[in-house]
Amino acid sequence: MSTKPFSADTSRAPSSEKLHRIDVAAGDDAIGATVTVTIDGIEVKVPMGTTILQAARKIGVKIPTLCNHDDLCIAGVCRICVVEVNGWRNLQASCAYPITEPISVKTNTQAIRKARRHIIDLHLANHYGECYTCRRSNNCELQALAKEYGVGHFRFGHPQEKRFKTDISSTSIVRDMDKCVLCRRCVRTCNDIQEVGCLAIENRSAHSQVMTFAGKPLANVICINCGQCINRCPTGALTEQDQTNDVWAMLDDKSKHVVMQTAPAPRAALGECFNLEPGTPVTFEMNTAFRRMGFDAVFDTNYTADLTIIEEGTELILRLYKALVQKEAVSLPQFTSCSPGWVKYIEHFYPDMLDHMSSAKSPQQMFGALIKTYYAQKKGIDPKDIVVVALMPCSAKKFECNRPEMKDSGFKDVDFGITTRELGKMVHEAGIDLPNLPKSDFDDPFGTATGSGVIFGATGGVMEAALRTVIELVTGKKVENFYDHANITPVRGFEGIRIVEIPITEVGPVPDIIKHLVPNWDWLKGVTVKVAVAHGTANAKKVLEDIKAGGPLSQCHFIEFMACPGGCLGGGGQPIPTNPEIRAKRAKAIYSEDAAYSVRKSHENPAVLQVYREFLKDGPCGHEAHHLLHTHYTPRGKFIS
Amino acid sequence: MLLTEQDKMTKLITELVEKNNRQRSALIPILQAVQAHSGYVSQFAMQVIADQLDIHATEVYSVATFYHFINTRPKGKFIIRVSSDMSSMMKGAKTIVRQLENDLGIKVGETTPDGMFTLEWTSCIGMNDLAPAMMVNDEVFTNLTPQRANQIVRDCKEEFRSHRQPIGRVGETATNTLTYASYSANTALKKALGMARPDVIAEVTASGIRGRGGAGFPTGMKWNFAATAKGDLKYVVCNADEGEPGTFKDRVILAKFADMVFEGMTIAAYAAGASQGVLYLRYEYTYMRDALEKVLEARRAANLLGQNILGKDGFNFDIRIQMGGGAYVCGEETALIESLEGQRGEPRNRPPYPVNTGLNDAPTIVNNVETLASVCCIIDKGGAWFAGMGSEKSKGFKLFSISGDCAKPGVYEMPWGKTIAEMLDMVGGSGAKAVQVGGYSGQLIPSSEFGRKLAYEDVATGGSVIIYGPERDMLEVAENYLEFFVEESCGQCTPCRDGNVVLLDGVRRLKNGTCSTHYLNEIVSLCDTMQIASKCGLGQASPNVLVALNKHFRDEILGREANA
Repeated sequence: MSTKPFSADTSRAPSSEKLHRIDVAAGDDAIGATVTVTIDGIEVKVPMGTTILQAARKIGVKIPTLCNHDDLCIAGVCRICVVEVNGWRNLQASCAYPITEPISVKTNTQAIRKARRHIIDLHLANHYGECYTCRRSNNCELQALAKEYGVGHFRFGHPQEKRFKTDISSTSIVRDMDKCVLCRRCVRTCNDIQEVGCLAIENRSAHSQVMTFAGKPLANVICINCGQCINRCPTGALTEQDQTNDVWAMLDDKSKHVVMQTAPAPRAALGECFNLEPGTPVTFEMNTAFRRMGFDAVFDTNYTADLTIIEEGTELILRLYKALVQKEAVSLPQFTSCSPGWVKYIEHFYPDMLDHMSSAKSPQQMFGALIKTYYAQKKGIDPKDIVVVALMPCSAKKFECNRPEMKDSGFKDVDFGITTRELGKMVHEAGIDLPNLPKSDFDDPFGTATGSGVIFGATGGVMEAALRTVIELVTGKKVENFYDHANITPVRGFEGIRIVEIPITEVGPVPDIIKHLVPNWDWLKGVTVKVAVAHGTANAKKVLEDIKAGGPLSQCHFIEFMACPGGCLGGGGQPIPTNPEIRAKRAKAIYSEDAAYSVRKSHENPAVLQVYREFLKDGPCGHEAHHLLHTHYTPRGKFIS
Repeated sequence: MLLTEQDKMTKLITELVEKNNRQRSALIPILQAVQAHSGYVSQFAMQVIADQLDIHATEVYSVATFYHFINTRPKGKFIIRVSSDMSSMMKGAKTIVRQLENDLGIKVGETTPDGMFTLEWTSCIGMNDLAPAMMVNDEVFTNLTPQRANQIVRDCKEEFRSHRQPIGRVGETATNTLTYASYSANTALKKALGMARPDVIAEVTASGIRGRGGAGFPTGMKWNFAATAKGDLKYVVCNADEGEPGTFKDRVILAKFADMVFEGMTIAAYAAGASQGVLYLRYEYTYMRDALEKVLEARRAANLLGQNILGKDGFNFDIRIQMGGGAYVCGEETALIESLEGQRGEPRNRPPYPVNTGLNDAPTIVNNVETLASVCCIIDKGGAWFAGMGSEKSKGFKLFSISGDCAKPGVYEMPWGKTIAEMLDMVGGSGAKAVQVGGYSGQLIPSSEFGRKLAYEDVATGGSVIIYGPERDMLEVAENYLEFFVEESCGQCTPCRDGNVVLLDGVRRLKNGTCSTHYLNEIVSLCDTMQIASKCGLGQASPNVLVALNKHFRDEILGREANA
């Protein structure tokens, strides 16, 4: 199976967007493997096929870019990165020019500066809107370029009126094509990284636009709401549905008991909204901020992440038991279901494989259901007065909480899903200096979660959390006996698809919590549990195709899928920009927070055990648990009427 | 759509997809076949095609909307497209359109309420010498007058009632293609097959012939690159996407000397070791397709194509025809290849070049129709014979498509190196104010420079000449050109997509007398950027006209009366 580091799949991109193959001699030292290029008089030795842009970065020469993105294949369309290459009459796009011979490059000449300035002028001539009213102001690549190149006036004019209707149909994503610069980063994201193919270029010439199928509203086409397009949009053309005013309204309404639940990934990224280094954890400062903003209780979604592990793990054990002992036909491998983008992806593209999906709800939705039942009863609050706000790294969570089936508490289980970016804005608006706040903890009765819950925020995290629990429940031994510090490192990392095999050589007694479901573990002895992890739905597609074809992944028992590259830490609601380096820093923050927890396994979370004792009395996957914590899926298919 | 109609459509698409081996590259022919069946490609059809080719419906939509001749919305049963090239405009195309609007009771861009007729402008259809001209569906009508146009509309109605399709009427183009006419078919191929492959390339190199499409890349060098490129599968593609306004010589060659083109392709295939050939024929020339297919059939029957051609062991080569979709930019070779792969016709980043990484990533020779036909003469009579004609840096003869204000428009064979004045004398165009050489993307030459030579070292050209008489308004010319480039830009790169819009707006300001000298200087400065920063030749060449106007006709274009 592919063990390539995460990278966009360009196999189906048009050739115009691919960098061509270059026959490179093997090994770094082989003759012809490297080439020396001169950039602005400075010589630099680079591997054959390196682009001029990459080579320039190595020696501190900054070439401006717009259509280029580290996660995406080459486009070479915006032309802002043009440079002079000796021997060429015209300028060359440095992002798309592979160095295969010792060329000499100039990046700063009068013609180049003039060309770049013209290109910015042309964009501004088509870019409707004021920076004041734009959500991407101060975080906009076009604005930054205009500043860098000293645009003093609109040389070729500036649109005075809106030309396109803003598409606000989607629960998650807003498209304002008046701000689009046609860099096609969203198109490449949607097609190459996510394999969703929601966005493409329509028409040609000045009529070309980024468009959905037949120009339909986003809500009516195949969009999984992952928001990866937002993360890569250089301007404010793509944003999330902003619900901050709705949340403020709830906070201002004194009759409402407004509860915040916060997912693990935002805390590793929120600091970026306050100019902190990516990967600076701000969990406990954030809690203080919530309270100052007026939230009545602050909970950690990691609590229900732990609960998810128990429910989903139990479901897996039941499936395995049925398959291995009772020889019943059950669908294996079981797929995780906590990523709403992934859920919608499989509903659209592989509806015939929905029986592989764990019926467990995502942590966000489990929490909503529990807050409006268990918590409401405990606190004596009428659930109709409770407002659940979920802070998520995700734009698809907005869609998820609006799914019609998500009201098992008798009310809409989660009222609002807001993104890390939206929270950042609210904190700014509230005049809160987040980095300098005192720290505070989460509220009871859900208390502090475990390290397993925290790592849900990274690709492989759900799998690692599940394995920690399953290994201990089955062997009766501490997972530390098998993996140092309980760090199951083989499932970590950023490879697109990873397979891990865990041979079960010994079994222990069945723990009390699931005793009523399986009599003993003898049937698992000698079994090699095979699990896999995939992130980015293009990789998910590869996994599903492999399963359909009966490949190695069809032999797996359990597979974790995350719609976004890097998992939730790279989610579509996270601060912009994103790139492999930023995602790695966020992952580091998440794993170090995990290491700092005293309790690091879901089944040891005292509050989780408490809820089974007090509320979900027939245990994991029992009747009550099924009612509140499990869901069903909708086969959607690919045809749009 | 009725369910039964959906079932029928699904069945049709299934058959088409199967016939094309489920290849995504067949997307455009599939779209065209669906359109031939139902007049347009419905959203349902696009989704079925996507499903069966295992791509996203949005990709199909994206490709379909790129091409002007693929309709994603219903149009009239008869789509009338009047050519908007400058030669047609000078010969009264606007009058034709006005009368059609009156007769049909609709404006350009609209469809009659009964769903019978749609009226549109279209980019040059390659009938400049027979202008004004228009297409009705796939059929071409030339030498139009308002009366003839009205008659054609009435004929369409009549033919619709009797379940027949209208049949186009293309006039005769005046030609003096002497060298081609005296060529004896297949002598070159027979001779080439008796030569070693490198010797064939050497002969072509010795002739000094350069690409006849306009870019002028040395053909021998191109063949040599492809021959030495690694790859078991190689292609020879004939670029018959003759979209450069004012050019129609390829149409004449394909109509009269198609065998020579296919023979040239076969020689190229032999020289480079290619096994597959494609003729990429512009949609506007659909009316010639059946005849061309027949030529191919005959060649296969005579073992001039197929396995072990003419007994040459192991030399297998065949040619298929693929239609364009109505996109000028597909004349750019990498855009053409994208189109052949079933994508939007957007030029690729270069390097790499098609000779290394072309169609389906295989080494590919893309040659113009005329280049391939001329190769036959070169192999037949020798490279030295060819190099003996022309000027120092421009070898051999060339076909020129001449139209506009002259007495004898047509296709003329001339050796390189003649002056523009000599050419004008030949066609009865003396007294012209300016001449457009090389199509809209070429150069506008004012009368003061008519002593310049038609040659790569002076005024290079793919062979198109449009003559402007003394009364012509150069701003109207520029407006027409820029309308064309705005429409035909593929839209991917900023300078071309947005720059042409700014230039067109500037020209209209000049025409309306509302352009300051300062702003004229601004847009002329933008021209510099477009010429060096655009991704492909289209955007690099589109500002030429404005640069020329500014240089040669600046006094004529400033200070116009408002709304003159």
